Amino acid sequence: MISFVLFSFKRAWQGFWRNAVMSIAATATMVLMLLLLAGFWIIQTGLLAGLQFTEQKVEVVAYLQPNTTDVQVSDLETKLRGMPQVASVTYVSRDQALAEFRASMAAQGREDLTRYLDANPLYASLEVKMVDPSQVRVVGDALRDDPSIRNVINIEDLVERVLTVTGILRTAGTVVLVIVGVIALFIIINTIRLAVLARADEIEVMRLVGASDAFIRWPFVFEGAFVGFLGAAVTLLILLAVADPLSAFMADFFRVLPLQFGSLTRDLVALVMGAGVGLGILGSWLSVRTYLIR
Amino acid sequence: MTYAPAPSTSRSSTTTRSIRSRVRGRSRDHATQERAVLVLHDVTKEYPNGKLALRDVDLVIPEGDFVFLVGPSGAGKSTLIKLLIRDEIATRGEVVLDGQDVARLGRRQVPRMRRKIGIIFQDFKLLPSKTVWENVAFALEVTGTPRRKIRPAVDRVLALVGLTAQAQQKPSQLSGGEQQRTAIARALVHDPRMIIADEPTGNLDPLISWEILQLLLRINELGVTVMMATHNAEVVTALRKRVVALEEGRIIRDEIGGAYHRED
Repeated sequence: MISFVLFSFKRAWQGFWRNAVMSIAATATMVLMLLLLAGFWIIQTGLLAGLQFTEQKVEVVAYLQPNTTDVQVSDLETKLRGMPQVASVTYVSRDQALAEFRASMAAQGREDLTRYLDANPLYASLEVKMVDPSQVRVVGDALRDDPSIRNVINIEDLVERVLTVTGILRTAGTVVLVIVGVIALFIIINTIRLAVLARADEIEVMRLVGASDAFIRWPFVFEGAFVGFLGAAVTLLILLAVADPLSAFMADFFRVLPLQFGSLTRDLVALVMGAGVGLGILGSWLSVRTYLIR
Repeated sequence: MTYAPAPSTSRSSTTTRSIRSRVRGRSRDHATQERAVLVLHDVTKEYPNGKLALRDVDLVIPEGDFVFLVGPSGAGKSTLIKLLIRDEIATRGEVVLDGQDVARLGRRQVPRMRRKIGIIFQDFKLLPSKTVWENVAFALEVTGTPRRKIRPAVDRVLALVGLTAQAQQKPSQLSGGEQQRTAIARALVHDPRMIIADEPTGNLDPLISWEILQLLLRINELGVTVMMATHNAEVVTALRKRVVALEEGRIIRDEIGGAYHRED
């Protein structure tokens, strides 16, 4: 068994180097396809992060009656926090609301008209962030029924429209990624098939001298895995080389997005390695099978 | 029906101990001597496109026989060989090799069965990137033979075909005859029961063809059954061995000591 594995490895290694041109062509195709796949995957991840960020912006703002007591406010906060749809609740007092309003006016370079007022005209509010933005109506309705609430800003229709758009973008991104994945799959398998085809003579001789299927198949499968591994490694090196300028560009471009490059890297390595080695093995397995089944 | 007498062991200047021991065993045991290596019983082969390549072929080849398979192109010689190595399966009838019905072999048994047959082709089918030695060793490597057994076995068959000096050369550096001898060495290295030669002299000039024939005759004398498909009328007529003639998928003649053409 061990000698069989050693034999297969040795033959795979020889097979790769004795047909260097074909092997390098296959590896180069593998690299290009994996780069394409990884590129689209990065774009998809960025898109998803962007959409998530947009959706996180959805919050229900409920203005409180002026005569609401602190006890009533904290009761209401407790009740809201108990709802499964609610992520967080922030209380904004009248003074804070005025300060924020003034700050935003100043930031826009507009004149602060509130200083002409005798008293603070703003209401205290509760800003409720959602776990799932599509549940905004449930939380809104619950708040409207509460006697200490003056009014709730009606954003349900807007949220629904935003969610429709983000849903379409998500689906479109996934579809594009799947299409690119299928294209990469076919091109890689076909390339490996050509590499195996170039050695049909060798397979024929093996069959004629009575080599068992395992002895014919496994060296090619190992070779396919090797091409896949090499292709994936080269792809990852290229991605590593462009990672810093790329992430600088991304951070610059999507300034606001909370992109996590740590998990992106880990998933990307898994994707590229898995796709490379997996498709290398699959391609060889299918190509050799044509010669074995008679 | 009688067949050619069992080959004598006296002339065998063999380096092949295993082949020689089998020959000795044969002369002691009369039953083994009569045993057929290959039996075709009412074999018909129809290809999916409807072409009838073989029709009701009956053929018995006893151990140690030397048979010429003759007939025009398309007569069914190649199909017959494909049936023997189970590249194709007979539509009807039985192909029994060394006591086993090849159609009933499981997928795992087919490679083992093929090791009992050594095949030689017109185009040699050598791997150009390997040396003579490696080409022969390849047949053992890919069948899982332990390394320590490969070297003596390869050296032995290369000595038998007279290629010891050329062992480290690539096929492109060899003459056609040397290439065919390499192929013969590869066919012999598994110590087969039978050698099937498909037009082995088709690409060779007459002198070299005779050299290859001499080698096949010598291998036959060592006790290996030989079946040779050929168009080489001169060789067939001169040697007066058993001749099986195929035409349009039928055996039209099967005679001991026959010529290439019918002699009435």
